[in-house]
Amino acid sequence: MENQTEFIQDSGKTNPLLKLLLLIITISGIMIYPSWRLSSILLVIVILLFRVSRVSLKLSRNRTKFIIIFSILLLVFQALITVNGTVLGFVIPHLNNFGPFFPITDYGLERGLSIASRFLLVVLSSMLFVAVTDPTLLAHSLTRLRIPYRYSFALVIALRFLPLFDSENQVVRMAQKSRGIQPEVGGFRKILRTIQYTFFPLLVSSLSRVESLSISMDGRGFGYSENRTYFRKSTWKISDSLLTILGFGYILFCFLLALGFLPYLATIF
Amino acid sequence: MLESQNLAYSYDGKTQILRSVDLQIRQGEVVVLTGLTGSGKSTLAKCISGFIPRSIEGGEFSGEIMIDGENTGDYSIAEISRLVSLVQQDPDSQICTLKVSDEVAFGPENYEFELKSIEKLVESSLSAVGATHLHNRNTHTLSGGEKQRLAIASMLSCQPKYLILDEPSASLDPKGILLLRKILSGLKDKNVGVLCIEHNLEAIQPVADRILSISNGMITDWNQIEEQTLTPSSTIVSSSKPLLALEGIDFSYGSTKVIQDVSMNIYEGEIIALMGGNGSGKTTLVSLLGGLLEPDTGHVHLGETPISDMDRKNITKRVSVVFQNPNHQIFERTVWKEQILTSEILDNMCEDSIERSRNLLNSANLGNFMDRNPFSLSHGQKRRLNITSTIAHFPDILLLDEPFIGQDQDGKSFILNAITETASANGTALVVTHNPNFAKKHCNRVIFVENGSILLDGSPETVLQRLVDIGHSEYSELGVNS
Repeated sequence: MENQTEFIQDSGKTNPLLKLLLLIITISGIMIYPSWRLSSILLVIVILLFRVSRVSLKLSRNRTKFIIIFSILLLVFQALITVNGTVLGFVIPHLNNFGPFFPITDYGLERGLSIASRFLLVVLSSMLFVAVTDPTLLAHSLTRLRIPYRYSFALVIALRFLPLFDSENQVVRMAQKSRGIQPEVGGFRKILRTIQYTFFPLLVSSLSRVESLSISMDGRGFGYSENRTYFRKSTWKISDSLLTILGFGYILFCFLLALGFLPYLATIF
Repeated sequence: MLESQNLAYSYDGKTQILRSVDLQIRQGEVVVLTGLTGSGKSTLAKCISGFIPRSIEGGEFSGEIMIDGENTGDYSIAEISRLVSLVQQDPDSQICTLKVSDEVAFGPENYEFELKSIEKLVESSLSAVGATHLHNRNTHTLSGGEKQRLAIASMLSCQPKYLILDEPSASLDPKGILLLRKILSGLKDKNVGVLCIEHNLEAIQPVADRILSISNGMITDWNQIEEQTLTPSSTIVSSSKPLLALEGIDFSYGSTKVIQDVSMNIYEGEIIALMGGNGSGKTTLVSLLGGLLEPDTGHVHLGETPISDMDRKNITKRVSVVFQNPNHQIFERTVWKEQILTSEILDNMCEDSIERSRNLLNSANLGNFMDRNPFSLSHGQKRRLNITSTIAHFPDILLLDEPFIGQDQDGKSFILNAITETASANGTALVVTHNPNFAKKHCNRVIFVENGSILLDGSPETVLQRLVDIGHSEYSELGVNS
């Protein structure tokens, strides 16, 4: 019975291949028409989708904090180094004979916002894709496109082992700490040694996992035949077709904006 | 019958790992194979299950593997795997999907079974390992014991006649070991022939039909060896000042609280067994004691100084931590360089420390491998190197996370010596273990952790008896009170 419930749940979801397509389309669109307004609108939509899908953004976690801080740094850096455009003010204003320094221009601000919002959009939409996509169903969808299952399973395995490598990295850092090994940056040899102390253990651990995994997969008939049965299958519904049309419409819209065919809408987006 | 005839194998063509191995396993019997670390047990498992020479190439293989009287020389790996399945040591590395049901269905899907029969196989295989309730779980959320059961279930779904298990009890708690025995008995009833490679014979012996041993590349009948007993000093020098102290510690990974309000003092002369089920927080507690994780609330004191105020090198001088996976804590390219790494970092390279390092490597049976790449050592040898390389500078405190996994008798004796030596030199050792017999024979204190809190703390006899009283009978069923 539990199986049946699972199938119904799966069939109620958007096709995983479409999710991949929408991710690619979204990112391509903001590369074609790099407007901060369009990126910000899409960013709001992505954040809303996080809520709708009940996926936590986990703002308390160091990684999410890093992403946000990095995007703010991108914005500040661009605003500081871009001197073209109308000057809106100075970071250090004119005081007696001192200053002014570091002009902030409208173009610099716009450029900074564009880069930061695009960075956030790429990272957050990819995070959302990984969180809401069932890799096994994605593998099945790719097989339907006649992509050999050996390749589609590479994606499943990558998603399976990502969290494991992350936790191994933490353990290696703790092991370094316990031996008194501290990251060194003074000189090429020291940097090389720091890299060696991190990558040696991680590499060896990964290689031993690769051997175990390939034995485990071969031992269960992986590659036995050109085809395989799928216990859980992805489905394609009318809503998926409509979303595909919407996705391609968005790409066309981005092209038209970038080529200047929609001058009025360009002032909005 | 699964049979090897005159089986021989060498990885490099020079050192013979297996020589003339003759082994028979009948359907419905459980055969246990034990032997020293590096004696060729896992190599034999890979030969019998067909991975050597088909998937692992480059070595010199000779001899024959027969299944039900048929020579399997011409079989492909997929054909052999339908008959003989291998469950390797580390279950985490063998899981290739993200859902339990997908993982169990993986084999039958590859063999193009029909959907209905896959569904039945998933149910029956999970039921055979007592894991039906895990059906819809994500694989990365499973505990070590649950992953082990999943690895067995995912092989059983391919309906093999013979199953080879490589150290299945290695990281299981007593509850997990009892369940493993039940699974093995169930497999016997289903007429599956099982070869179980195991160091921890106590775990499997009750369900074993035969116990064999491998040495010098050949199979012999197993003879029980008396375990060395090093009785800890009964008089603990319980000075008023602890060497290491935890005070009101809480710790969380994200939103999951794993340690709750833990306080404890560790005094010199103590050998402490830190026990508790899988996922109870033992490893996290060790990391907190070693100052490797920062608690959310509370304090860790090394002597009288808060550990957070201390320089990392000063902590390393006094505290040695050895983690579970040996690969995560080897950093250098030769065994010797790895051995002296801590002394170099602590600026402690002198004739005495070099002499001490040499002696340690010799007593750990690693003296002949000084120029070898440490990653090429066996699992047990790497674990011993982890210990020798962190104790050459005489730290006061040893924190060892399951050090006996994969160790043969010699390895166990070496580690026991290191523990008692540290404790008797006015130091202390805290050992994470699932083995109640070790706690009873070698420790003078047991701390039992449950759900991130200390449930029991006291002498081994008292704690182990109390565990039985409060319903953890698995600690007596494994032989403690027998």
